[in-house]
Amino acid sequence: MTSYPLILENFSVTLFDRTLFYIDSFIPEPGTSTAITGMTGTGKSVLLRALAGLLPAYPFKLTGSMKLNGFSAYQDGVKTNYKTWNQIRKKGIVFVPAESAQAMNPSLSLEQNLKLLAPDSRDLIEQRLNEYFGIDFKKFAKYYPDEVSGGELQRITLMILLSRQGDLLYLDEPTVNLDRNLRKRFIQFLNQEVLTQKDKTILMASHDIDFVRALSMDKIIALEDGQLKYLDALPESSGYEKPKPKEITGPGLELQKVSQHYKIRGLFGEHDFYAFRNLSIKFSESIIYGILGPSGCGKTSMIRSILRLIDGTTGNIVLDKQNLVELKQKENGNDPAAFKPFRKKMSVVQQDSRFAFFPDLSIRDSFTQIFPQQGFGVEDDNDLLETYMDKLRLPFELLEKMPRNLSSGEMKRMDILRSLISKPEVLLLDEPFAHIDFETRTLVMKAISEYLAKNQVVLLVVTHEDFDLKYFIDEDFDFLSIADNKQRMTRRK
Amino acid sequence: MKKLFKYLQNFCIFLLVSPFLVVWVPSILDGFLTDLTPAYRSSLVLSFQQLSITLLATLLAAALITLILGYISILWSAIGKIIAAVLEAIESVPAILIVLFSYAPVASYLASHSEASSSVVSLMIFVFAATLTILPESIRGITLPLGELYYQKYSISFRSYGFRRRKILAVLMGTDVMRHAFKRIAAGILLKILVLDCSFGFIIQLGFGSYGTPAHASPGALIAANRDALFQGGSPLLFWLPVLPLVMISIAFLLVLTNNKENEK
Repeated sequence: MTSYPLILENFSVTLFDRTLFYIDSFIPEPGTSTAITGMTGTGKSVLLRALAGLLPAYPFKLTGSMKLNGFSAYQDGVKTNYKTWNQIRKKGIVFVPAESAQAMNPSLSLEQNLKLLAPDSRDLIEQRLNEYFGIDFKKFAKYYPDEVSGGELQRITLMILLSRQGDLLYLDEPTVNLDRNLRKRFIQFLNQEVLTQKDKTILMASHDIDFVRALSMDKIIALEDGQLKYLDALPESSGYEKPKPKEITGPGLELQKVSQHYKIRGLFGEHDFYAFRNLSIKFSESIIYGILGPSGCGKTSMIRSILRLIDGTTGNIVLDKQNLVELKQKENGNDPAAFKPFRKKMSVVQQDSRFAFFPDLSIRDSFTQIFPQQGFGVEDDNDLLETYMDKLRLPFELLEKMPRNLSSGEMKRMDILRSLISKPEVLLLDEPFAHIDFETRTLVMKAISEYLAKNQVVLLVVTHEDFDLKYFIDEDFDFLSIADNKQRMTRRK
Repeated sequence: MKKLFKYLQNFCIFLLVSPFLVVWVPSILDGFLTDLTPAYRSSLVLSFQQLSITLLATLLAAALITLILGYISILWSAIGKIIAAVLEAIESVPAILIVLFSYAPVASYLASHSEASSSVVSLMIFVFAATLTILPESIRGITLPLGELYYQKYSISFRSYGFRRRKILAVLMGTDVMRHAFKRIAAGILLKILVLDCSFGFIIQLGFGSYGTPAHASPGALIAANRDALFQGGSPLLFWLPVLPLVMISIAFLLVLTNNKENEK
């Protein structure tokens, strides 16, 4: 008799009063791999968390039953006891979260984390890290998670988690923070070392259709309208028709020999570490620039130095014939009067939009506070707000909700709306589409392109994704080729 | 169900801290404990009255200083580093020694003045010393979550909108995360002061006897004064009567502490 590692029956998850999905029956064959695709906010990550027993009882409500490796994990929507889950965990469930670095204990060194998470697989992890990610683990073993760069930590964590013993593997958006090269190597690794082995039953949630297409997955499922639907083939990703941008008339934004350093505390006091050096580049209006490069190479530092929100910038950042570095030399929590007009001209959308709004205010109330800072009242621009809500397919009731009640995709679109509505002349997007599916991404790109067609804007996009390069970016730069990064920072501040 | 549990928990906490309310309306006790001498009864009531004043005064003083110093530490990191160094030095000295040392400059004043003025000065000294001992922990309790909220989460977004750091910090201070932090710090402060007050009362009772200085009426002193009742005759009730409310109050503070830790998770 076949023993199925996972049996779901009449299983549903409700968030507050919204049913995210209902699954009447889902029984993957042992040793198979299944990709779960679907738009952002459909509940893919929630499903994987529920299957791993990691979903909190509040605000989620579950119904139905789930069996893992023959043990009853949920009965009538109620999680079975600790003893049963302990037995389930002993059989081995490996859950790789989207922000994989969260799996690391910050108070333990990487060596200690490895011993805790995958004690029997050290040699395998070392070999895999070396072969696929070019990392010598021995050099990093003594460091704590906050002492290595985000990219390095993500690669190390991924390999540790994926080398754990266990017959059930759940992967939640594993490529979210990987740059293009690493993504290619990761695909190679998954295909060669994980998917061909057939010793694990694998479920992977991803909105990245190109990534799923590159993998040899056995089955593909779409989570749509709250139900799992088997697909014969992946949908083709399509772009959109870009409107013609406004003609270039202004001088744009120019960086002249810009260097960015941080102070690092060492054994003999503080010393400088450079994120990048001698960056000289001119960004014209009406062109969408893509900035590429490996994680930790200084792309985000460049965005922050243009915004004048970090210390340690030298060189000239010229906008409207004014040197921003001279206008604001130090970030002390306030902008000098001469710089304030430039603050209103620039807008940023960060990779993580969770912190773009006041945590305990509704989105509408946050707008009421943020818009006056940027020089206009929300009442005056109510039509504009409605137009963008429509364009980005954001339901109006979201305005009355708290940020924590929005999905990551909704939050991202709301942040982009906030940014566009402030009518910036310099729009800086730092990996803005990392958490959103291709369909929604096309929608957002279209809204930004339409804004570009009507306004003179300098637009920089830090991105890792082929989709963005194919459909959105006009000119792209490899950051390492335009900045001197020979002494780049490998350890975080 | 969850709400009902929360109401029940709050009711339990109220019951557990009720000794503080009872001592301010001593007539409630009239029908009870009739076997006790009037002197013991008044000492019992007085010690808990003074403990409640000490806790409240220390909490207010510590909260005020913590808020100011915590806020300044995040606002100006250079000053924050100096404050951290001073607090680290304070923390390296045991709390009870700080309290005892703080009494040294006023010892002769306490001995030479009337009981009433001596009690007031003694209370002020104790509040000062207790506030000093808990400041490192309470300031850390504010600056760590506030610093994380500001530097790792909200600073870039909100500074890019043009908000001043001061305004962002003021908003973050009012968030749920910080409210939970304040509650946890308050419960921690109260628990620590309770222990410190009773230990100090116990020590000076042992050291100076009932005629010693400073005039610090504390349940700890009452316990010390009646410690012999347990093994060398006398009514054990005299020993257990101050102990029981202290245990109840400590449990209440612990409940608030654990409740807040769960909320943070």
